[in-house]
Amino acid sequence: MVRMSRRSVLTSSVGLTVAGLARPHIANAQAKTASVWVNQGFVPQEDAAFKKLAADYMKESGNTLDYSIMPFQAQNQKTIAALASGDVPDLVFMDAPGTILPQNAWNNKIVDVSDVVQPYEHLLTDTAKLASTFYDKTLRKRSYFLCPIKQGATPFHVWGDLVEKAGFKISDVPNTWNARWDFFKPMQKILRAKGMRKIYALGLEVETVGPNDGNNLYIHTMIANGGVGIVTSDGKLHTDDPKVREAAIKTVEYLSTAFKEGFVPPEALSWNDADDNNGFHERLFLVDFDGTISTELAMYSNKDAYNKMVTLGMPHGNDGKPVPCQVNAGGGFIPKGAKNVTVAKDLMKYWMQPKVMGENLKAGLGRWAPAITQIVKDDPWWLDKSDEHRSTYIREAVLEPTTAVFTGYTPAWGQVEAEQILQQSTADVVKNGMTATAAVDKMFKRANDIFARFTFE
Amino acid sequence: MSGVQQALVAGQTNAGVRWRAWGGGLRGSEYSWAIAFTLPYAAVFLAFVAYPVVFGLWLGHSPELYSQLFDDPLYLNTVVNTILYVGIGVNVRMFLAFLISGFFMRREWWVRALFLAFILPWAMPALPTALSFHWLLNGQWGLFDNLLWFLFGVDGPIWLNSRWTALGSNIVAYIWKFMPFWTVIFLAGRMAIPQDLYEAADVDGATGYRRFAHVTFPLLANLYLICTLLSTIFTVGDFTTVYFVSGGGPAMSTDVLATLGIREAFTVGRPELGVAAVMTALPIVIPIVIFLMRKLSTTEVQL
Repeated sequence: MVRMSRRSVLTSSVGLTVAGLARPHIANAQAKTASVWVNQGFVPQEDAAFKKLAADYMKESGNTLDYSIMPFQAQNQKTIAALASGDVPDLVFMDAPGTILPQNAWNNKIVDVSDVVQPYEHLLTDTAKLASTFYDKTLRKRSYFLCPIKQGATPFHVWGDLVEKAGFKISDVPNTWNARWDFFKPMQKILRAKGMRKIYALGLEVETVGPNDGNNLYIHTMIANGGVGIVTSDGKLHTDDPKVREAAIKTVEYLSTAFKEGFVPPEALSWNDADDNNGFHERLFLVDFDGTISTELAMYSNKDAYNKMVTLGMPHGNDGKPVPCQVNAGGGFIPKGAKNVTVAKDLMKYWMQPKVMGENLKAGLGRWAPAITQIVKDDPWWLDKSDEHRSTYIREAVLEPTTAVFTGYTPAWGQVEAEQILQQSTADVVKNGMTATAAVDKMFKRANDIFARFTFE
Repeated sequence: MSGVQQALVAGQTNAGVRWRAWGGGLRGSEYSWAIAFTLPYAAVFLAFVAYPVVFGLWLGHSPELYSQLFDDPLYLNTVVNTILYVGIGVNVRMFLAFLISGFFMRREWWVRALFLAFILPWAMPALPTALSFHWLLNGQWGLFDNLLWFLFGVDGPIWLNSRWTALGSNIVAYIWKFMPFWTVIFLAGRMAIPQDLYEAADVDGATGYRRFAHVTFPLLANLYLICTLLSTIFTVGDFTTVYFVSGGGPAMSTDVLATLGIREAFTVGRPELGVAAVMTALPIVIPIVIFLMRKLSTTEVQL
């Protein structure tokens, strides 16, 4: 039996305390190791693609990547907590950094990556460039804070077999915004008469729980009604523009009327991020408008369901003219305080090479479009008509008219979207009996209050 | 020994007594042992409790944050929701737990089997429990509305589309989840009541309600109060139930301070505003904690 003396216990206790609080020392490891937080893909192939890229990079460079793949919400929370505490990873790779990046770039908390992006600038799409630059209020300049790898657009997703079951043809789908949604309305009654008791025509994401789908639908409906100028690239809000105001009122009227007429599942007001996808897969409604082709790829292994779905690109606006699809950029950014900025930038330089970027996104089943147009033109896989979902989506995201998400212009828009005030205006009409005009006035007032906190000087 | 010398000795003795009293009455080597065993715990407490709390308080210290918070039209709504959620949820739950604990005092085998089923919601992790409740309420494929259709041929309400039914759903879910825990506490309290008190009451002719009113309730009143106060503190900070049952919807009309704080911190991306939102509950929580501490240091029971 070991005799424990008072001295030995006290020594051990102090030693334990110091060891527990001390940081581990790894000789020279920091020089070549970067910690990377990557958001988990929607399909397993995306994660596998990243792991392969990481392995290839480590082999080629001799550097080490200590990476963690985590779900989007968890990564969001961890990153926000890391930026608040100052204990940050070397690189954060996000599909949609709209909540975090604009605000933290504004507050001078993100490393400028212009030296990484500029060599590829001539290859990047205009929207990828716009969606990767943000304003730093401390330095009073706009710069690249995101190394863009991918772009995401929003197509329509339709159950083609249900359209046929209702006696209609997909080829007859109109090519203007409101008319396209209206096309599906009569099918609801027909399909219910055929035994589909709970089917609805439209999966309109009038949700106010967030995070993105409700805002996405609202903005595109506004764009289709001529309201694309609500926020301009100088970061200004134009709620006093009569055209913008009219577009907002028409948006609220259309969405709230469709809801009140019973063409939208009543739950849609309370949908969270997964509920609309689940609703579509459950064949709760015929059509919805949701980002990327994750809806289709979720059924990739079920070829029957995969082939029953139809993907449609952006229609024209209600005036019959082409309107752009709003496109975001996903990629890597480096928080200030990162210990190994050199390796983080080196990784992004490697990843932004067209060949590497293309192969990585292709291995992820093309859920995300490349930020470089030439990739799509050089490799016939992207536009191969044997997969209509992907070819339609890529054409919409890269080759047809696009516009950048407004969060790149000002962090104020990020807060507008985070507070869900856009679809709250729809909810105010539906739940609280407001007129569309009053609901839009209330929404514009709150938006202006938010924008007033972010002044460019 | 002179008077001065006596005084000096007395002073040293008193100092020694005061030192021992400060050190918890420990002497010499005992004191060293106490330090040795306490030090690791103190370090962990400072690193993982004190520091995060102080950091959080520092994050939320700016008056500008509170100005922004109070300007948010949703904030007042959130405070009202919190008061209703806590007020109704805690009181209904504690009252039901108190009553049901009496039922589970019975010795029959089927009562014990029922008890096992009763505590299952509490035994399961909070997140899947709340999610299950959310799915039960779904108007299209949820169990409640489909049962209504199957049994009566009627379409049930869309529970989460109205502020009041959604808030009610949150309260019911919270009661369902945590009532078993408090029932067990009250059950333990009842079991600790000496049987000879009941026998004495029987001798005096007190049965049924009079036994409850004159024996059981006085002996459990303190426990009931302390449990209610503790439960209030826990409920003010509850996030999981509201977030996963109603999501704070529809249109953020059922948010409580805890979910508002999380939304400001991680959806809006302003953790300092999230901390400020939660800190506005302190004027209610701190008096409860003080009252609880005082109550814990009392009292006699008068039968």
